[in-house]
Amino acid sequence: MMELLLAIVTMVLSLLLAWVSFVAYRKSHLRPALYLLMAFILLALKKVIEGLSLASWIERDVGVVTAILEVMVLGLLLVSMWRR
Amino acid sequence: MTGERRREILATIQRKPGITFRALARELGLGIGDLQYHLARLEKEGRVFSRKVGRRRYIFPGRMEEDAQRLLIAISTETRRNILLLLMNRPMMQKELAEALGISQPTINYHMSELLKLGVVRAEKKGRNVIYTLAYDPETVLRLVNEYRPGLWDKLADGLIDLLAGGGWE
Repeated sequence: MMELLLAIVTMVLSLLLAWVSFVAYRKSHLRPALYLLMAFILLALKKVIEGLSLASWIERDVGVVTAILEVMVLGLLLVSMWRR
Repeated sequence: MTGERRREILATIQRKPGITFRALARELGLGIGDLQYHLARLEKEGRVFSRKVGRRRYIFPGRMEEDAQRLLIAISTETRRNILLLLMNRPMMQKELAEALGISQPTINYHMSELLKLGVVRAEKKGRNVIYTLAYDPETVLRLVNEYRPGLWDKLADGLIDLLAGGGWE
């Protein structure tokens, strides 16, 4: 139960941060804001996939997919710090 | 009577470009519905132009549409609004602006280049320094800045913009 609650909180926070990044990008057209937007969306997606894997009707191992998403999130965060 | 009322509304907008919907209603003593009706007609005829930014709707004469777009972009972040308010008092250098606002110079540099692109400020080289001055009617800029009410998302996004504009490595 606690695990599910934390997963939901993480997902909501990721989506809120994605929205803030979107507003920042719309106002400034700064490319790093776009990378952050993608990173937070991917983070939310990762949480959804992890959450769904808990359901019994999903038998596939989603470990590889979530690990790839994790790498992509970290990569995008790194790129967003690069000075233009 | 309707024509007279509309002329009065138009005259006020021309005298005070960038007036907000609320301020216009207050100044003319008009009801919200009444003013909405007249503004919709004037906007349809292309005689006025309105745009919602933050939590306010700004109204400009129709001929000022291009200027209005630039001004509204210029005031859309908190740091730029503060820069414009400072430049209203006197011309300043980037270093002075950074010190006055307590913001890093790369962040100020980003905002100044945006304001220059928008044509709202002017840069003049004096020796080794670049002095920035306001290039737009201060009364209009002040009206827009004073009426600006950012929403929660705007405030958070402004913080992120300053962070991204000032941070990073080469």
